[in-house]
Formats: sequence, structure tokens, C-alpha cells
Amino acid sequence: MGAMPAIEAVALVKEYERGVRALDGVSLSVEAGEIFGFLGQNGSGKSTTIRILTTLLAPTAGSGRIGGLDIRREAGAVREKIGVALQEAGLDDLQTGRELLVLQGHLYGMSGGAVERWVVELLQIVDLEDAAERPIRTYSGGMKRRLDLASALVHAPEIVFLDEPTTGLDPIAREGIWRYIERLNREDGVTFFLTTQYLEEADRLAQRIMILEAGRIVAEGSPEALKAAIATDVVTVQVGEASAVGRAADVAQGLAGVEDVRRTDTAVAIYLPEGSAAVARIVRLLDEAQVPVASITLARPTLDDVFLRATGHHLAVDEGLDGATA
Amino acid sequence: MMRTATATYWLTKRALREALRQPEVELPQILIPLFFLATIIGAANQIAPQAFGVSNYTGFQVPVAMVQAVAGVASVSGIVMVTDIERGYFDKLLLTPTPRIALVLSRLVADAVRATVVSTVILVVGLAIGSPLEAGVGGAVILVLLMGAFGAAYSGIGLAISLRTGNPQAAQLGILIFFPLLFLSTAFAPKEVFEPWLETVAEFNPVTYLLAGMRSLVLEGWDGADLGYAFAAVGGIGGFSLGLTMLALRLRAR
Repeated sequence: MGAMPAIEAVALVKEYERGVRALDGVSLSVEAGEIFGFLGQNGSGKSTTIRILTTLLAPTAGSGRIGGLDIRREAGAVREKIGVALQEAGLDDLQTGRELLVLQGHLYGMSGGAVERWVVELLQIVDLEDAAERPIRTYSGGMKRRLDLASALVHAPEIVFLDEPTTGLDPIAREGIWRYIERLNREDGVTFFLTTQYLEEADRLAQRIMILEAGRIVAEGSPEALKAAIATDVVTVQVGEASAVGRAADVAQGLAGVEDVRRTDTAVAIYLPEGSAAVARIVRLLDEAQVPVASITLARPTLDDVFLRATGHHLAVDEGLDGATA
Repeated sequence: MMRTATATYWLTKRALREALRQPEVELPQILIPLFFLATIIGAANQIAPQAFGVSNYTGFQVPVAMVQAVAGVASVSGIVMVTDIERGYFDKLLLTPTPRIALVLSRLVADAVRATVVSTVILVVGLAIGSPLEAGVGGAVILVLLMGAFGAAYSGIGLAISLRTGNPQAAQLGILIFFPLLFLSTAFAPKEVFEPWLETVAEFNPVTYLLAGMRSLVLEGWDGADLGYAFAAVGGIGGFSLGLTMLALRLRAR
């Protein structure tokens, strides 16, 4: 018998009023000590999955277990095990950063001295020690996001759910949070369930990813395996005129050996083996079809290609926290 | 049980800290009732003995100002709860192992404390402008404790509305509901001078009995029956509002 999964969901369904089906049979399993990436567009069902697994929302059907505990029947015990930072940093503007973390620690049953000492350390880790005594309302978006992350970790949970933890952060702040997640995972074996709109984030952090589209899982595997599964090169043709994208796609479909063609508003991605040998031929055929080409690139598949192949479209990123800085 | 008590303690501390940091929210709860107290006394003090048979109208009105201030204080809680819900902090609290009831109890306890503070201020001002206090210092303590209990009881109305709707506009209904309750009671005159229909309505209004108990301490001295009815009225309001709040909490939080 294998080790018990840290997070397990079986056929989760969530229907809201008026018949909106946000989740349509999502099953997943995350091993202890794994960083698991959950990719999808806004509205794909990522946040609903997190809200169900963290006991905030009851599923319409299906079941879930966290550390072996049932999310419905043992919700209280589940909450002891997990740390959660939701998509919108849920903070109390009238408290200071330190007060918020100390209160959070007490609500997890930590004692006075221990929580005070740990909070000082935690504030240093998320680089907020200078702002510790300031009211949270004076924090920037990035500072709030870091404080929210710290509040999810205040009781040293075994399993952490992060719903788009770096959305709206600048690259430096994002890098800082990535390093901290990696360190906690490596040194303390913390399991992370991470939703993200950033492919780079999933590629960097996640040992395994799952792509969710309209409430259904459409791809699953390690980033490397998913990219390797495409087993082709990707020739991306940026078309000079949007009206010519259809002609470019027709040309691509007619190529010998082509495995797949995906089009967006301004470009065509052609999946085929030995892409370098095909570029000259593609250029010639496009020229013959009078397709204006703005640029043409050859690359190994990226997670974006994986996403495009799985869903039929690129991952649109919503920055959420406009103007947020660290 | 221990966990509920501990969580209630820490969350109450947070709620009181929040109140101290927003004097602009708290002060009107004292100033507005004092303004009404001054204007009502100014308008009716001369005619009250003949028209209502009330010898000291200031003493008659001080309990009204206290009740009004406490209802205002208690109504703020609902608005604060909606703010927590809107900014996601309520979800953060729900994600902790905190017993759900502590999220409500902490608000009730904090409101009871805030109610005792504002009612003490109103009472002191009332005494300064000529209100008697026939039951003495002991009576003052009971008055303030009664107001603390009323604060906790009444805050349940706003909390229930907030938890059920999560809507800031709806949360303000907490104080709006109070005005009909006040006007349909013996707030301005004894019910003996009322039209029959209003007298009947006032007899079914718990605020009438709350005011009667408070006035007995202010104007007459100790009257066990009146005080008993006053505490029973607060208990009735509390039972009703707490029931609604727990139902709303159950619907919002798993």
C-alpha cells in the first residue's frame, strides 16, 4: 500500500444557483511533500476547487481528503493541518501586520511567547519587519500579498494552499515568494497546492501540474513530461494582418508531417517534428499564399504550448492587483 | 469549550482595538443621542409635568438616550462584520480552527463592553444636567450592566443581517429597525397619555419594559418587578437576535 496522499479529491462537482456548473468531476491526488500546480484561466474552477478542499465551500457531489481527513466530516481537523492564502488577500486594514499574525497564531492555539517570537521571524522572512507596526491599510498590494502568505504559514502547516500567490506582484517580489516556497518544500517537506495564471511560475515551482478548463481536467503530468508529450517542435508564425490568419492556418494544415495547428487572433502555431528543416518550406508556402509574415520562430514546446494544445487557447493573465508593488 | 473561550477572548480584543482606532465611528454614538436628549428636554421640559405627569423630564429622557446610544453602538457591529466579509477577512477566520460561535460571541462581548462605556458617558452627562438617580450608585451599576446586556442582545440583529446578506446597505438596517421600536414605545411620554392604538402597541414592545426598568432606577428607586421585566425584555431581544444570528452563521459558514 502506498503512502497516503496529502490531498485527494474524487469526482468533485460544484453547481451554483441557476445551474452554473463550476466543477465537473475533478479528481486529483497530491503526494506529501509535492508542489502541485493547478493551471487555468479565470473562471476555470481553480478557486472553487481550493475553497472546497479548504472546507470553505461544500461540494455538490464528490469527496475530498486532506492528510487522510474527510473535508466534510472532519472539517475542523482539516483546518488545523492546512494554511491558506486565497486569491484576494483577506486582511484587516485596522490591525498592524504584527497584530494580524499574532492573532492568527492565537486562533491556531499557539501560546503567547511562542507566537510573538515566531511572528518576528516570519515578518523577517517575508521582508515586512520594518512595516510590522504599521496599520495594514498603509501597505501596498505586494506587501499585503506577502503578509497574507505569512498568515497562511503562521502555524507551520503541513499542507499549504496558495491561490494565485504572486498575481499582481513585481518580478522581484515574485522571485522572493518563489524562493520561500521552494525552501519550505525542500527543508520542511511542506506540501503546496498552488493555483496560478503564470506558466513561468508553474514551470519553476511545480513538480506536477494539472490544467483545468471549464471545470474539467484536460491535462496532467510533470511540466517536463507534458512538454515532452508534444514530441514536436513549435513553429510560431506571427501574421502581419489578422485577416490572413485563416490562410496561414490552411497553409500549415497542408504541410507534410504536421501534427497539429493552433491559431490565435494574430498567430498560427504549427506542431511538427524536425521544425528546423521545415521553416524554409513554411516561409515559401506562406509567401505563395500571399500571407504577410511579421515574424517566425522555432522553439521547443513550452507550458504555453501544452496549455494551448490542451485548451485550444493561450492562458490569458489577469493581473488582478493593478499597480501593486512590493 | 476552552478553545471557544480563548478564541472569543482574542477576537474580542481585536474588536475592541478596532473600536479604539475608529473614534470617528464611536463618537457619533454618544454625540447624536446627547443632541436628541438636549433638544427633547428643551422642547418638552416645561410642559412635561402638566402634559405627561412627569416631574423630572430630564430623568425620564436619560434612559432613552442611553438606549439610543447603545443601539447605535450595537448596530455598528453588523457593518464591521460586512466589511470583514467584503475584504475576505471573515473567510480567513473561517479557515482557522476557531469555533464558529466564537466569531459571533466575540462581537457580542465587545459590544457589551462598548455599550457599558457609552451608556456610562450618557448617564454621567445626564446627572450633570439635572437627572436624579434615586437608586444611587448601585442603581447606576445596574443601569450600565443592563445596557451592556442590551448592547450584546441588540447587536445580534445587525450581525444576523450582515451574515445573511453580506451587504453593507442591508447591514445598516440594524439601526433603522431600532427607530420604529423606539417611537412605538414610551420613549417620549408615559403610555397613559397615548392614543389607545399606540398604548396597545407599546404594551407589546420590549423597549417599553426596558425603559420602565431603567426609569424606575432613575426616578423612583429600587423596583424589583420593573427591573425583572427590563431584564426579561433584554433576554427576549437577545434570544430572538442570537437565534437569528446563529441561523445566519450556519448558512454562511460550514
